[in-house]
Amino acid sequence: MGTMINGFKKLFIKKPKLDAADVEELRIAFKDRYHSFKLLLNANNRALEIMADIERALQGRQPFGMSFVRSSCTAVSVNVFNMIKNIEKLAPGKYGKLNARFNNIQQNIDILLSQKKSMEDERLILPLNDVYKEMTDLVGSKMANLGEIKNRLQIKVPKGFVITAAAYEKFIMENDLQTEIDRRFQSADVDNMERLYTLSSKIQQLIITSRISDDLTDSIMQAWKHLESETGGRTTLALRSSALGEDTQESSFAGQYRSELNVSVESIFQAYKEVLASKYSLQAITYRLNRGFKDEDISMCVGCMAMVDAVAGGVMYSCNPVDMRDDSIFINAAWGLPKSVVDGSDACDLIVVSRKAPMKIIHEDIKAKERKFICFPEEGVYRMELTGKTRNLAAIDKKQAFDLAEIAVKIEEYYAAPQDIEWAVAQDGTIYILQCRPLQEMEMEKRDIPEPALQTDREVVITRGGITASPGAACGPVYLADKGVDMLRFPKGDILVTRQALPRWASLLNRSAAVVTEQGGFAGHLANVAREFGVPALFGVPGVMDRLSHGEMVTVDADSRAIYKGKIESLLIKSEKKKNLMQGSPVYENLKQVSSLIVPLNLLNPDSPDFNPANCKTFHDITRFIHEKSVQEMFNFGKEHNFSEKSSKQLYYNVPMQWWVLNLDDGFKEEVDGKYVKLENIVSIPMLAFWDGFTAIPWDGPPAIDGKGLISIMFQSTTNRALTPGIRSAYSDRNYFMISKNYCSLNSRLGYHFSILEALVSERAIENYISFQFKGGAADYHRRLKRVHFIGDILEKHGFRIEINEDNLIARVEGHEMDFMKNCLAILGYMTLHTRQLDMIMANNAALNHYRSKIDKDIQTILNSK
Amino acid sequence: MEVKNFNVLLVDDELEFLETLVKRLTKRGLNISTAKSGEDALKIIRGKGIDVAVLDVRMPGMDGIQTLREVKKIDPLMEVIMLTGHASVEVAIEGMELGAFDYLMKPADIDELFYKLQDAFKKKTIQQEKIEKLEEIIS
Repeated sequence: MGTMINGFKKLFIKKPKLDAADVEELRIAFKDRYHSFKLLLNANNRALEIMADIERALQGRQPFGMSFVRSSCTAVSVNVFNMIKNIEKLAPGKYGKLNARFNNIQQNIDILLSQKKSMEDERLILPLNDVYKEMTDLVGSKMANLGEIKNRLQIKVPKGFVITAAAYEKFIMENDLQTEIDRRFQSADVDNMERLYTLSSKIQQLIITSRISDDLTDSIMQAWKHLESETGGRTTLALRSSALGEDTQESSFAGQYRSELNVSVESIFQAYKEVLASKYSLQAITYRLNRGFKDEDISMCVGCMAMVDAVAGGVMYSCNPVDMRDDSIFINAAWGLPKSVVDGSDACDLIVVSRKAPMKIIHEDIKAKERKFICFPEEGVYRMELTGKTRNLAAIDKKQAFDLAEIAVKIEEYYAAPQDIEWAVAQDGTIYILQCRPLQEMEMEKRDIPEPALQTDREVVITRGGITASPGAACGPVYLADKGVDMLRFPKGDILVTRQALPRWASLLNRSAAVVTEQGGFAGHLANVAREFGVPALFGVPGVMDRLSHGEMVTVDADSRAIYKGKIESLLIKSEKKKNLMQGSPVYENLKQVSSLIVPLNLLNPDSPDFNPANCKTFHDITRFIHEKSVQEMFNFGKEHNFSEKSSKQLYYNVPMQWWVLNLDDGFKEEVDGKYVKLENIVSIPMLAFWDGFTAIPWDGPPAIDGKGLISIMFQSTTNRALTPGIRSAYSDRNYFMISKNYCSLNSRLGYHFSILEALVSERAIENYISFQFKGGAADYHRRLKRVHFIGDILEKHGFRIEINEDNLIARVEGHEMDFMKNCLAILGYMTLHTRQLDMIMANNAALNHYRSKIDKDIQTILNSK
Repeated sequence: MEVKNFNVLLVDDELEFLETLVKRLTKRGLNISTAKSGEDALKIIRGKGIDVAVLDVRMPGMDGIQTLREVKKIDPLMEVIMLTGHASVEVAIEGMELGAFDYLMKPADIDELFYKLQDAFKKKTIQQEKIEKLEEIIS
């Protein structure tokens, strides 16, 4: 191609006059170049779009996973690579240095994307007696915390062992699971609940049907035997997930993973695999996605502890989780295993103990407990309906409450942070701690406004009462959820109303406005996750399922524990925006790191000597550089070959206009002889749309300028001839359209303003784009700046994306349907004519307002006429 | 043991899955029968009293929905829990409309499945009691 062009070059120098064959050959060469140019612009456009996606993701309002990060990086680099390939076609060898820059940036991105923690300790099993806080990476934070208080603080914790992260890695590796899991995630649409469900089910089955290697089997059996020799007899186990990255200060992972209680030796391997598989439960997948955790960073360690056949159990908080200033100890208790408290499946007692010595019970709410969980002799747990007077009795006595409170304070002091503690009282009265982790705290929004002055006659209270499980207020239609199928049907923005506060509803939290349940307390998993996500939650409202009807609009005020009919604005004011959960998460941080190699633009000024390949630090720089050069190369081709002079035609619209048209491909209806091309002969969709707007409303001359404005314009004219840095070719002196049927680029100078328009408009909406650059002006800097903002405002109102750098305005529109794009071009046409010399009046507000309203009116007229 | 013993039929073409469940549910005190297909399941249901059936939605031959429809014809009081690895709102709703008790993801949490079975059985018992009372009043 290069030699061909050189051939043409010689041809032209020798023969200034072209014969028909030469022109035809030249046109073919041009078409080829033009095609490369178009591909290049397409790639440029795609790359910028993806960068915009990345920037949007970095605002952190929408959840995204590593598959988004990876696919965005890949898509950007493919498009940048395409641009390099195409500029190479336009100017062979000229910008070869770009390849090295591209490779270097790409390598750095790859390094950032493939970071993974390496495992140093390879022990598969660790007895709980050897576990300490600093072993989080091997045993997960849940077990590390438990080992720490057992071994360093001498708190009673059941005997047991941990199946480590190394064992998990080994299991995943030996069954070659990660590749398969990644593959399934890449092809899944994570916004689609049905797809997620299938994905979750398939991956879990994949894990459960995988094989545990012999050495791990042996190690587990050995640890079990050792445990039985210690406990002196047949022992069953509680298997608890203890994932890496779980239970840190910022994230609870509450109830995302499975625990299996009272597991017999025959079922341990099945139970182990089920706990591992629960890493991919529906709620765990949605949780990770919403919180930005990386799938491959989470290793599932499993704690195996001797089962405590509890008479009573529960969860306690070392301070009030919804009001941190209150340092009382909050104890939730139920009969039997703590499961019903954790699950939120039943009502439970609440005992509040003040911590100042001597401790005192300051609040006691003993509930009617409908059932309890107890152990089967062989394996498994069952629910037993409570009858008679036991159901109304307190599950623990005062002494036990004080003992528990003391343990809570002791652990809190040790970790120097409020704690969330699961406990059980064994048959012999011994208190065991089963789990402890940092408490998710949430400050109750202090009301600036007084208690809402509700007019009871108009705004009806539907229910009062319940427990503030997560503070705030929200309004929405009621969704009564009861069955598993509701998981798939639940619409975004509804209020989730359900009987039990079961952990499985957690996968709906990011879509719910608020959660209301009949049973469950603030210590359950669902309450934890609701607080974490900032979703108002009101639990333990008796009979609420019957008192609300499906689809009914209500306002839930979790703080004052009431539900009202309809929308009550005064309550909603105080509710803060949902937390930004992505920020700071591993996936978010990873995207932030790679985006620093993709998004920032360092090459700003094409005139600067720094505007060269060696200074391209990011993919954006490369696209900017190539884009700039590609336009020049297109011009140069015409210039060097005298092509434009020969082939460009002067536009004839009623009279000959000061506009020239260069037909790149199929922009004319038919071949044109002679000097002029009539508008009727032009079929370029974007050019015609622009021209429509340009000629729609006549210009009534420059606005009257004040004295200062005039002086400024004279000064500028004498000092700055080329007001258009960047392109100093002959073409900047004239208004040139380069067109094809779907493409149009326009370099225009009207008065002292310089603008570059580039548009691609066809039926393929995703390829459509318009970019409009506006610069210069003759007034002083301050006024030019004001004008740029003036124009930017108007364009933004009509759907353009605006970027303003000093007095340089870039406006973009992409991906819309043809009609929308045509309207945008008409607006640009209109603006090109009607904003010239507006900067003369930029200091005059009254005049400015006058022009603004005229412009708005004119644009409306143009759009309406379509 | 206070836990009521009742008859459960597990229907699934995946044998490995069946075996584990049988073992674990038997340990929890339930009488378990199994069937490898919808056709087999219907034979068993006709032959003896089953209180609750657990049906895999996807099976070769008669699928879960078809089986459910037939089951309800043979014994309208029998409760059915659907188990599926493929979520489809349509299928799920169809199942619920045909009278399925609930819908669980496969693999189901053993405890959750166990409680669902108990709940389904309880519902069946209450229904039966209601009908017996009605019959008493009528006669």
